[in-house]
Amino acid sequence: MDFLAKLAESFIGLFNAGGATFMGLVTGIIPTLVVLITFVNSIIMLIGEDKVEGFAKKMTGNFITRYTVFPVLAMFFLTNPMAYSFGKFLDEKYKPAFYDAAVSFAHPITGLFPHGNAGELFVWLGIAQGITELGLSTAGLAVRYFIVGVIVIFIRGIVTERITLMMMARKEVN
Amino acid sequence: MTYNAIKIVKGKAGWGGPLIIKPDEKRNKVLSVTGGGIDPVSRKVAELTGCEVVDGFATTIPDDEVFVAVVDCGGTARCGVYPKKGVYTINLTPVGQSGPLAQYIKEDIYVSGVKPEDVTLAEEGATISQAAKATEEKSSSSKAKAAPADEKKSSFIVRMGKAVGGVVGKFFAAGRQTVQMVINNILPFMAFVSMLIGIISESGIGNVIAEAIAPVSGSLPGLLIVCIICALPFLSPILGPGAVIAQVVGVFLGVEIGKGNIPPQYALPALFAINPQVGCDFIPVGLSLGEAEPETVEIGVPAVLFSRVITGPISVVIAWLFSFGLY
Repeated sequence: MDFLAKLAESFIGLFNAGGATFMGLVTGIIPTLVVLITFVNSIIMLIGEDKVEGFAKKMTGNFITRYTVFPVLAMFFLTNPMAYSFGKFLDEKYKPAFYDAAVSFAHPITGLFPHGNAGELFVWLGIAQGITELGLSTAGLAVRYFIVGVIVIFIRGIVTERITLMMMARKEVN
Repeated sequence: MTYNAIKIVKGKAGWGGPLIIKPDEKRNKVLSVTGGGIDPVSRKVAELTGCEVVDGFATTIPDDEVFVAVVDCGGTARCGVYPKKGVYTINLTPVGQSGPLAQYIKEDIYVSGVKPEDVTLAEEGATISQAAKATEEKSSSSKAKAAPADEKKSSFIVRMGKAVGGVVGKFFAAGRQTVQMVINNILPFMAFVSMLIGIISESGIGNVIAEAIAPVSGSLPGLLIVCIICALPFLSPILGPGAVIAQVVGVFLGVEIGKGNIPPQYALPALFAINPQVGCDFIPVGLSLGEAEPETVEIGVPAVLFSRVITGPISVVIAWLFSFGLY
């Protein structure tokens, strides 16, 4: 009998621990998140998509802003997954590289601007939780995640553009 | 060529439907966007209706030729993109109205959790659903007609009131959008994560995992190996959907960092090491959102997949360099 009672206790213990974690996530993360996302969403609505589009189009001309500012704007204002529709402003040969750059920014943006991909926060939040547990600040990590993210999407854009151009040229020959 | 009408019902734990639909002369292709070749459900649909199957990862076709799109979306993007375009959507994963495009996912255009046996020939005399696209257009045009009627010259105060009301309305809409997002996407994932963490940390499985994971993810070479594996072109489209894998691994690593098994300075490189496959499941859909031609999609899919093999490890090294002096 004792054994069964112990078993029941440790069984429910699993879920008590889970419940405590859930409580921590809900009270620790959601309140700020809701207010922050509401704020950013209202800004986006007030500015309006067409104004952003006009500005974003100017960023497509050279290869530096095409794979840095342009995808970052797309992800910030249109969020995942509608951000990829900005590909329509580009020539066919740049579209795969732009998609690669934009989608690779879907998680680095969440450290500072969780609205950008609110459905997939736990890539960032999971690791950030561990840092919080140690009593350290996550702000520095979030900023660096964003900066490294921009550098990485820039490199990805260039590499994918090269590969795309190479494959297109080879197809032409065949 | 004559086509047959079919009936698709939701699977166990699925949502939406049943769809009773029939291809016509124009919309007569089944678009399979599932990664790893054409899935059995697409094949069954094609077989019963007499349609042609198209592998969405190999090429793309105009939206108005798609009879039905078959996806295996974990709940973020693909499940909403096709309903938004007004294309009938079958999701192989049992996902309901979720993701940023949840508002477009409706019973009359979307059905999920579908297995091959859920697709049958429609009984004779069954009413065939109308393409959702047509109804959508009608409602928007009637709205457009109604709008200009109340555009009269109004006094300053009325105009100011309207402007303030408009701004407040936008704030309110933003709030509603946010709360919807929290309920649809964030809270369910938190519940799932909490359950995982609870079971892992209390049952002792955590210690076993820690012994296996910590040495790997607590060093640069280890992270590079993880990254290269995730970036393999035949694995990355499978690991991608909903970023579920990256999120679960992120939570695992977070727990280990919290316990002190992984030094915190590896947090930044780890964020990139666990995620070189981001969006690899979504390339054709993402490209078609950007209005890419079929030829571009054909080249774009392998181009992005190969690029990840090169840029994945580079991203880990850059992140590692940037993590100096952080903790």
